[in-house]
Amino acid sequence: MASAEILPLLRGELPYCKGCGHGQAARALSQALEATGLPTEQLCLVSDIGCVGLIDALLPTLHTVHTTHGRSTAFAQGLHMADAVLHGGRTKVIVVIGDGGATIGLLHLVAAAQANVDVTVVLHNNHLYGMTGGQGSGMTPADWITTTTRGGNPFPPLDMMGILRASGATHLGRYVATDPRLPEHLRAAIEHPGFACVEVLELCTAFGVKFNAMNARKLKDLAELTGQPLGELATPARPSFAEAWRQHAPAPAPPRPFQPIAPTGTAALDRPLRLVVAGTAGEGVQTAASLLAQAAVGQGLFATRKNDNLVTQGSGYSLSEVVLSPEVVHFTGIGVPDLVIATSQDGLKRTAKAVAAMGAGGLVIVDEGLDGLPGTAARVLRLPLRKLAGARSAALAGLALALKETGAFAPAHLLAQARTSLGEGGAAAVSAVEAWVGA
Amino acid sequence: MSPTPAPTPLPPASRPRRALATGCEMIARAAMDVGCRYFAGYPITPASQIFEVMTRELPERGGLASSAPDEISALAWCLGASIRGVPSMTATSGPGWALMVESVGYAVMTETPVVIAMVQRLGPSTGAATGGAQGDVGMVSQAVSGGYTIPVLAASTAQEAYEETLRAFEIAERLRTPVVLLADKEVASTTEVVEPDRLPAPPALLRPTFSGPGTYRPYAFGAPGEVPAFAPAGGPHKVTVTGSAHDFDGHLRKDDPEVLAVLRHLEQKIAGAEASLGRLDLDGAGADTLVLSFGVSSRASREAVAQARAEGRAVAMGNLRTLFPVPRTALVAALDGVRRVVVVEENMGGQYAQVLAPLLGDRQLVRVNGLGKLIAPAEIRHGIG
Ligand SMILES: Cc1ncc(C[n+]2csc(CCOP(=O)(O)OP(=O)(O)O)c2C)c(N)n1
Ligand SMILES: [Mg+2]
Repeated sequence: MASAEILPLLRGELPYCKGCGHGQAARALSQALEATGLPTEQLCLVSDIGCVGLIDALLPTLHTVHTTHGRSTAFAQGLHMADAVLHGGRTKVIVVIGDGGATIGLLHLVAAAQANVDVTVVLHNNHLYGMTGGQGSGMTPADWITTTTRGGNPFPPLDMMGILRASGATHLGRYVATDPRLPEHLRAAIEHPGFACVEVLELCTAFGVKFNAMNARKLKDLAELTGQPLGELATPARPSFAEAWRQHAPAPAPPRPFQPIAPTGTAALDRPLRLVVAGTAGEGVQTAASLLAQAAVGQGLFATRKNDNLVTQGSGYSLSEVVLSPEVVHFTGIGVPDLVIATSQDGLKRTAKAVAAMGAGGLVIVDEGLDGLPGTAARVLRLPLRKLAGARSAALAGLALALKETGAFAPAHLLAQARTSLGEGGAAAVSAVEAWVGA
Repeated sequence: MSPTPAPTPLPPASRPRRALATGCEMIARAAMDVGCRYFAGYPITPASQIFEVMTRELPERGGLASSAPDEISALAWCLGASIRGVPSMTATSGPGWALMVESVGYAVMTETPVVIAMVQRLGPSTGAATGGAQGDVGMVSQAVSGGYTIPVLAASTAQEAYEETLRAFEIAERLRTPVVLLADKEVASTTEVVEPDRLPAPPALLRPTFSGPGTYRPYAFGAPGEVPAFAPAGGPHKVTVTGSAHDFDGHLRKDDPEVLAVLRHLEQKIAGAEASLGRLDLDGAGADTLVLSFGVSSRASREAVAQARAEGRAVAMGNLRTLFPVPRTALVAALDGVRRVVVVEENMGGQYAQVLAPLLGDRQLVRVNGLGKLIAPAEIRHGIG
């Protein structure tokens, strides 16, 4: 794939209509690529759908990736990112897309500009959907007649260069397809190390000209009429994706190992214990349940734990469902629990139905300050969980007491786990729970 | 029957090493262990934890992880990376899958490997983000226009989630295809015991790759079902990738027998590999009743089967770890002598039961389904009869 012997890059008969701007743009792109002197094996052309997408067959010596409508830029971005970070950045990626592709895939252009990936987008703007029969696109000029705007397009065209400038593109330009310097402009865009987009204004001879009495001269006027100026647009310089990644990537590290739980003894529990601990989000309910599961595994038990909270994550109730068993836990459902601990009004409200359904073998531990405990056949312990341990350790206190009451395993193992996991910050609370449960 | 003694935990000295992990954590870990080098994601419950772990840890391990602006981009970025030669993955749930479908088809057509962890949640549209379900069997298996099979794997435990992620990558790379790991909220986000020393070693990823001599023909295969060799865009061999109907060279063609051969081949290479892709964990033989399930519902099924056996019923349990291509070979063997098949899945009406029905002949098919809550062992026990 050495490039010198195979010039020109553009091969074969152009498949476009006579006078179609796509042909002019394709010729200019080919000349620009030749001028870069880059070997073809380092060039990857990612093409979109539409008449514009016929180009991959015309540049047969490049790597070509013909994609789906509007997605070309996204495929190109993924390809570039992988190339830049994992393959030393040897490949230049060029996207060829139409005005239709630019609107259906607008977010991909915006994202590529934002990330400043080294991708050059050549936006062939023939002001309509050419291949499908000349329908009006988001870049059709106001008042233009198309096959879907018979009374004239009621909207102004999107200013794609403006959108991309606002998105963080670092090289932008708009030129007419007949501009003799187009190859130079394209070459500058390709050689630019960050995101570049060149909008090429074209005429669709089949549909644009047919309905709107356009010619090449008027194309230039049109650019002025729409208020979308020709030429290079000023853009601020900033790091490319590859540079930004190098600055922000973490230092290499070995795979994080599992954290196996050291055996602490053998629990007395000889059948599954299905429990729910419930309180208010932010009060350490799920942390306490996690500590319980770890302590249980240390005691040779199997454990499953599921959390539930409001979708907002940080407000309202928070609960954990835990199943402890001497055997592998298959079914993780709780059904009617063996044990419920409610540390706050939110938590009690959430578990009230389960509490009401519990039988004589069940145990309910609730904070003494809570209202609305339903009638239940289960044994109920109303205790000053919040007062004794503090709101944030009430769940831990309830669980420690539950271990003592059920005899599943000694609460000391839960508290030892809490002491290790919570560190300094939790020490006082753990001691308070310890003193209280011991008493 | 003598009463079974109460179970007791293993004494410390004979206990295997145990840790706690969620299905999501195990999926991410397996992906990194097996050689995933690129991940792109977009947050969605209950798959977000995979995204979080991958963005935190994959770059430490020399890979690249990206936060995409939507799921359309996430999968397209993965495919771009894979076309560059990099094993890639994304993770999502129903709403995100809906956005990815276009590129799933592109991956099929271009024979681009990618793994998609699809963690099901409840209901259509936004549904219930934290609700569990197994209602997307149809959605993932019928996603590709033209009716193409993509491998769909399932896992019922955190440990299996690890194993099936390894297998998903192995299959995706070897067969150059998208592979879906169809997880569910329960298995993905429940924390449970895993035994690190019992995890299989990651397999080698063997994407068939062209190394010359001669001209590279990107979509040329020999015998039907053979996977064409890959070459990376950006490498030394000129690559032509296309989502359009193409011949062996990747050229857009119409009314060309080679194009039809390629279109048939895309299905054949997956469907024809059914026997090797099929995985059915069968427990019990010679029973007249077979319980078939997958994902979270396999867990309740195991309890129901144990209970039925304790009551003297001969019941076999099949945990499906390959859903598609339908593991016909394994199922036919498992169905030998079976008169009654109980298919357990947490959706309305039994999506996978419908897939299995044609295989069952005159056997009785019992569907046990549920919506918005776990199917309980007692419901399955009832279905066993
Ligand atoms: C998702 C999707 N929607 C619609 C189409 C149909 N389609 C094919 S070409 C085309 C128009 C392309 O217009 P543009 O991008 O401006 O390119 P042009 O044909 O004008 O060069 C459309 C809409 C498609 N291929 N994919
Ligand atoms: Mg157009």
